Amino acid sequence: MTQKYRAAAKDDLIWHDLDSMTLLYHRPSGITHMLADPAPAILEVMNEAVLSTVEIAERLSARFDLESNIDTENIVLARLEELSRLGLVAPVPA
Amino acid sequence: MMAKMHDISLKIGPAAFRIASTWQRPLDQLTDLYKAYPAPTGETVDFTVRLEPEKPWRRFIRPSVHIGGDFWLPDAAPLPLDQGLLAAEMGMNLQMALGWRRHLLLHASSVEKDGKALVMTGLSGSGKSTLSAMLAERGWRFMGDEFALLSLDSGEIMPFPRLISLKNRAIDAMQDIASENRFGPEMKATPKGDIRHLVPPPDAIERMNEPATPALLLFPRFGHAPELRPMGQAEIFVRLTQASTNYVALGEAGFRALTRFVDDVPVKAMDYQSIDQAEELIDALWSPLP
Amino acid sequence: MMQDARTLIRALREPASVEALNSRQWTDLISVARAESLIGSLAHRVKDVAVPDRVRAVLRDAIEAHDLARRQAMWEADCARRALAGYPGKIVLMKGTAYVAANLDAGIGRSIGDLDIMVARDDLPVVEAALLDAGWEWVKPDPYDDRYYRDYMHELPPLIHRERDRMVDVHHTILPLTARPTPDAQAILEDAVALDDGLYVMAPADMLLHSIAHLFADGDLAGGLRNLWDINQLVRHFSGGDAEFWMKLRKRAEKHGLVDELERALRLAVRLYATPVGKGSAGWRKISDCLYVRRLLARDGYGRETRKITRFAFYVRSHWLRMPPVMLARHLWAKWRKGGKPVGEPGIR
Repeated sequence: MTQKYRAAAKDDLIWHDLDSMTLLYHRPSGITHMLADPAPAILEVMNEAVLSTVEIAERLSARFDLESNIDTENIVLARLEELSRLGLVAPVPA
Repeated sequence: MMAKMHDISLKIGPAAFRIASTWQRPLDQLTDLYKAYPAPTGETVDFTVRLEPEKPWRRFIRPSVHIGGDFWLPDAAPLPLDQGLLAAEMGMNLQMALGWRRHLLLHASSVEKDGKALVMTGLSGSGKSTLSAMLAERGWRFMGDEFALLSLDSGEIMPFPRLISLKNRAIDAMQDIASENRFGPEMKATPKGDIRHLVPPPDAIERMNEPATPALLLFPRFGHAPELRPMGQAEIFVRLTQASTNYVALGEAGFRALTRFVDDVPVKAMDYQSIDQAEELIDALWSPLP
Repeated sequence: MMQDARTLIRALREPASVEALNSRQWTDLISVARAESLIGSLAHRVKDVAVPDRVRAVLRDAIEAHDLARRQAMWEADCARRALAGYPGKIVLMKGTAYVAANLDAGIGRSIGDLDIMVARDDLPVVEAALLDAGWEWVKPDPYDDRYYRDYMHELPPLIHRERDRMVDVHHTILPLTARPTPDAQAILEDAVALDDGLYVMAPADMLLHSIAHLFADGDLAGGLRNLWDINQLVRHFSGGDAEFWMKLRKRAEKHGLVDELERALRLAVRLYATPVGKGSAGWRKISDCLYVRRLLARDGYGRETRKITRFAFYVRSHWLRMPPVMLARHLWAKWRKGGKPVGEPGIR
C-alpha cells in the first residue's frame, strides 16, 4: 500500500521569499519556518491534493527542470518526513 | 503587615509605567532624571514595576531590591539598594520585553535625521548604545538605546527614549562631551559592570511621540578595522528574530512587520574602532539614501 | 489603593461596575488581574463597557495575547495527537486546553500554559516512549525528582519539546496518589467525550470535579481566583442545559470521594462570583469558608500577595493534602539539601 500525503491548507500558510531561503508562517502553530529548496516547491505542487511520493515527484518534474540523474523520489520522501514532523504535511490514512 | 509602598508614574514614548517602591530614594532619583518628561497625569498606565525587599526583614538590614511587577521572571536576582535606579530601569525593560504588544520590539538603538531612522542592532558589546548616545551629540535625534519599536502597520519606528544606560568605558567618553547635570549617580560593579545613566538631549524628549521611517539598519561591531559588509536576507531575518523579544508573541502581525522591514530597509554589517570612523562610514551610507 | 482583589471579582461579576473606576483604580485593577492570571477573562468581560483609552489598549493586548495562546494550545494538542497516532487508548485533554477544544466559556481569555493530557495508568510507558520518539525530552534529569513523580504524583515528570520549547504533562488521574481522596480514574476515562479530531475531553461532571480538585490540591490556593472563575464558568455552562446535572454531579463526587471539596468550591463560587448552584448542592456554610475567601482575595493594588500568615497556613496545608507527613518530611529534606525550592511554591509556572 502506498502512503499518501496532504499539505497544510493554503489559507494556513503565508509565504515570503528571501534571497536564499523561503519563509513560511504557519498560522495554526504561530511558527515561522525557514525552508530551503526543494521543500517550498514540494508544498507548492502538492496544492492540497492527496498524493504519493511518486505523484509528487512527477508533478515536480513537470513544473521544474530537474536533473535527470537524481533520485527525485527519495529526495521527496526525505523532505516529506521532515515536513511531517513540522506538521506542514500530514500522512493520509488509506 | 505589608510594608507601605511609594509610587510615581513615568511616560516614555508610547508606554506609561507606574514604579512602586518600598524605598523613597530610587523614586527620588527617577523623578529627578525624568523631570523633563511629560508626566502621565490623570491617566492610567500600561505596566506596574515593583521594587521591594527580597525578604520583609531585609528592608533595613543589608537591604536588597527584588524586581517585580506585572510581568516578571522567576529567577531575577536582587540588586543592592544603592543600585535601585538600575533595578527600576531593568524593571521597565522587563515589562516592555515581556508585555508590550503594540509594536515589534527590536533590541536595537536608533537615531533620526530628516525624518529617517538609523537602526543599530547587535550583541551586547557591539557598541550600539554608545553609538546612539554619541550620534545624539552630533546632530542626530536620539530615539532610544535599548528598544526600537517597529510599528505593526505603518512600518515606522517609534521612539522609546528612556535614560541612556552607559556602561564602563562609555561613561568616561560621554562625561567628556555631556554636561554633568545630565548624569545620574555612578553605580560601580553592578551585574552589568559600572553603570551611569544619562538624560537624553532635550529634542529627544520633546519629540518622543514623533516616529521616523527606518532608512538604514546596521549591525555594528566595535574593535575591528573599519569595514562595511553586505549581509544576506536570510541571516538578517534570523538575527532580527533573535533580537526581538516579542516576535513570537505577536504571531502573524510580527511576521508581516518583520518581513516588510527586511524587504524595505538596506542593511550593512559595520566594523569600527572609533566614533569618528563610525560617523564617516555612516555618513557615506546615509547621504545617497533616498 | 486597593487592599484586596474584591474589585476584580466585582468587575468579573458585573462588568458595568468598572465604569465608575478612576485611573488609579484602573491601574490597580490591571495589576491585580495580571497577578491572578485573569486579565484575559477580564478583558473579554468588559469588551462592551466604556473604559479609558489606555486601558482599552491594555485590554486589547490581553485579548490578542490570549487568542494566540489559544491557537498555540490547540496546535500543541494536535502535535501530541499526531505523536500518539499509533496509541489505541483515549487521550483526554485537561484544564485550559480542554475548555478551548470543547469551545466552553471557561476557555475564553483563559491563560494556558502547558499541555495537560490524561491516559490510562498502565499505558504510561507506551505514551512516554511515543512522546520521546516524537521530540519531547525530560525537563529534569534529577533522579530524586523523577522518583518522586513516578512514585507519588499523578503525572509523569514534565516533558518539553526540544524544538517548540513547549511542555506536556501526562497524567493518569486527577490528584496525586498520596492525596486523601482517590478519584476513580478509570471511570473518568470510560466516560470521556470524543472530539472531532479523535482526542477526548472529560464528561461535564468529571471536568468540573477535576477543576475543583485542582483548586484545593495544587499549591497553596495560589491562582485560586482563576481556578474558581473556571469553576463558575463550567457550572453556568453545564447546569444551563441539563436538568439532571446537579444530581449526576453529586453522584460523581461521591464516586470520586470529592463531596466535601465540591460543596466547599460551590460555596466559594457562590460567595465570590454569585454562581447559580442547585438547591442543597453546596452543603452547609462553614466558619472556615471565611478563611478561604480571605486567602483567595489576598492581593493588593500593586499586585502584591498580602496576608502572609493566611498564605502560610495554606501552604503547609497544601503539602499535607498531597503527601502523608513522613513523606512530606522526606520530600522537604531532599529539597532543602539541594537548596531548591519546595514544590507547590506559587508563581513559577
